[in-house]
Amino acid sequence: MSDPLLRVDDLQVQFFTEDGVVRAVDGISFDVHEGELVGLVGESGAGKSVAVSAIMRLVESPGKIVGGRIEFDGETLIEVETGPDGDPYRTEATIPDGELRERIRGREIAIIFQDPMESLNPVFTVGGQLREFIELNRDLSEREAREEAVSMLREVGIPEPEARYGDYPHQFSGGMRQRVLIAMALACEPSLIIADEPTTALDVTVEAQILDLVEDLQDRYGTSFVWVTHDMGVVAEICDRVNVMYLGEIVEQAPVDDLFYETKHPYTTALLESVPRPDQTVEELNPIKGVMPEAIDPPAGCRFHTRCPAAREACTTTNPDCREVGDGDQPHRAACIKHDAFEAAYNGSPPLDAAAQQGFDVSLSGGETDD
Amino acid sequence: MATSHSDSETIGSESVENVEQSSESVEARVGWRYTLAQVREDPTAFGGFLVIVAATVVAIVTTIDAVVFEFLAQYQVFAQFGVEKYWLAKTVWMSPIQESADTTALLPPVGIENAYGQGTWAHPLGTDDRGRDILLRLVYGTRIAIMVGVLATAIGLVGGMLVGAVSGYYGGWVDDVLMRLAETLYAIPFLVLVLAFIAAFGRSITFAMIGVGVASIPKFARLIRSRVVSVREDEYVEAAKAAGVRDRNIILRHVIPNSFAPVLVQATLQVGTAIIIIAGLSFLGFGIQPPTPSWGQMLSVSRDHMIADPWFSIWPGLCILVTVVAFNMFGDGLRDALDPRLDN
Repeated sequence: MSDPLLRVDDLQVQFFTEDGVVRAVDGISFDVHEGELVGLVGESGAGKSVAVSAIMRLVESPGKIVGGRIEFDGETLIEVETGPDGDPYRTEATIPDGELRERIRGREIAIIFQDPMESLNPVFTVGGQLREFIELNRDLSEREAREEAVSMLREVGIPEPEARYGDYPHQFSGGMRQRVLIAMALACEPSLIIADEPTTALDVTVEAQILDLVEDLQDRYGTSFVWVTHDMGVVAEICDRVNVMYLGEIVEQAPVDDLFYETKHPYTTALLESVPRPDQTVEELNPIKGVMPEAIDPPAGCRFHTRCPAAREACTTTNPDCREVGDGDQPHRAACIKHDAFEAAYNGSPPLDAAAQQGFDVSLSGGETDD
Repeated sequence: MATSHSDSETIGSESVENVEQSSESVEARVGWRYTLAQVREDPTAFGGFLVIVAATVVAIVTTIDAVVFEFLAQYQVFAQFGVEKYWLAKTVWMSPIQESADTTALLPPVGIENAYGQGTWAHPLGTDDRGRDILLRLVYGTRIAIMVGVLATAIGLVGGMLVGAVSGYYGGWVDDVLMRLAETLYAIPFLVLVLAFIAAFGRSITFAMIGVGVASIPKFARLIRSRVVSVREDEYVEAAKAAGVRDRNIILRHVIPNSFAPVLVQATLQVGTAIIIIAGLSFLGFGIQPPTPSWGQMLSVSRDHMIADPWFSIWPGLCILVTVVAFNMFGDGLRDALDPRLDN
């Protein structure tokens, strides 16, 4: 396989708060190839949004990228190493701020933010903002940029784009605004679009329309996507490959079908079981027990062991990395020592408690729950 | 209880309307037209607005008469038609600065009699100590009040906005340095600061105006900073950053416009304050120099005649009062109109 368009390698982002250091992203690695739509899934607080904002170096104080390397299309967006004094520093390979702003942000990588209600400046017209971004990133004159803006609005399915060009954001519905944001992201023809939960704030019918639109546009432009979401339904719908994040770490990495049918990590299994289904009542819902621990003081060993139905004594001491565990032709990695690849003493280790043991049987047959 | 009942009824019917034409009413909630429509519904604010408009019109006309005509009079083309300083005033009535030989000084207003004679309709508000018509000088004094008030505020507004926006946007040590500087300036009494400025640069209305402007920078800087600190966290700012927009353009196009509403209110109120300060400076002899008419300087001259001929002090005092109160009423109305929490 050719070199990936985006390679994130051992990325670490920490927030230095008064209560201590929050390890929001703790050594994640993933690739995005050209034309691919890669999902980043996990509960709220897993570090998904921080991870993607680190790609464009948008992490703001008190947050800091303290380790790892992000490579995009042969350029090093950031490379942080730890100096002899223990302080992380940016290596010389990291492209400077000005260049990042001029050449990468908007032109090569665009972001669609979570909340379409908040992502447009309320005091300027929608068309004006779209035109500003196009003018800025494509070196067009004002008139050309305006024409381009109108045609982009038409492209993303806004009726009467000429008439709506001069409207203010509050005159658009949520779905329409998300279309505008997608138009903004696409307008500069970037090779990668980072979508940070773009449909979370929308209702399901609008969400479906937006997803259709994205698939359609992706076919046409061949843009790669990193799609951040907590919705497994959306993942199944559009993603090619999926990374599951838990507490700052990637716990499973697989092609979308493998993830659903050959789930390898108990957390992914639990996530899939938490999805409400029409044939279940609220009582029958099977949410993940407990809440995610604070990233400021993550549990020792495997980070999921406090909530994992399959946890055993060995899990409290070993924090597994993400290893190849699948048998398909595409890589399928998981970070769970129950797999043979880890050569850990999982099978001989006693279960953590009896209550969890009951869930254990279910989780072993995890794949069947989706039939 | 009756009031509260009718209130709730009004609110109820309004909300029904809102639902019916939500896009319409939402559309109408931003922009100048909406704000002015809100102000119009508020009688005090609208009254203030009308006074400001009237004063501004008078100020513009008199400025043309005084400054523009003086400038044009230098050229033969215009001078041959008789264009000169105070041409309009002289044509219509008389010069506001010329002491005429045939009028009595310190004539009282119409209907009042004093040691110098009986008030006449020729000088409805009386004459000053040099026999100049007080009404005319009040009219021409509007120019100084409005111009100086607005320009001084504009200096404070622009300066404060830039300082505050940069400070709030970048945070960190930039914020610390700029805000500590602003607070240092803030700690010095306003009038002392302005007087120091005039002492350093020279005794003229220009420096008085700049001094008042500079002295009001901290007020605006602190105000806009407090808004910017929250606006910079908004997602459209981050979106602009992600799209590669320069910091300068983010501040000018995204941060400042969204932090502007409270500053606009403050600016309106500040015009009133600036007018008082400048009048005070003129009273002390630091502002506008005679014979150019200004309210503060008229007050200053009237000091000696205050007991015997109080109207000489009352008229310019009344002008200052009305103008400043008008700006304050308009500012208060503007604050209500721009406050998104008040659904009026």
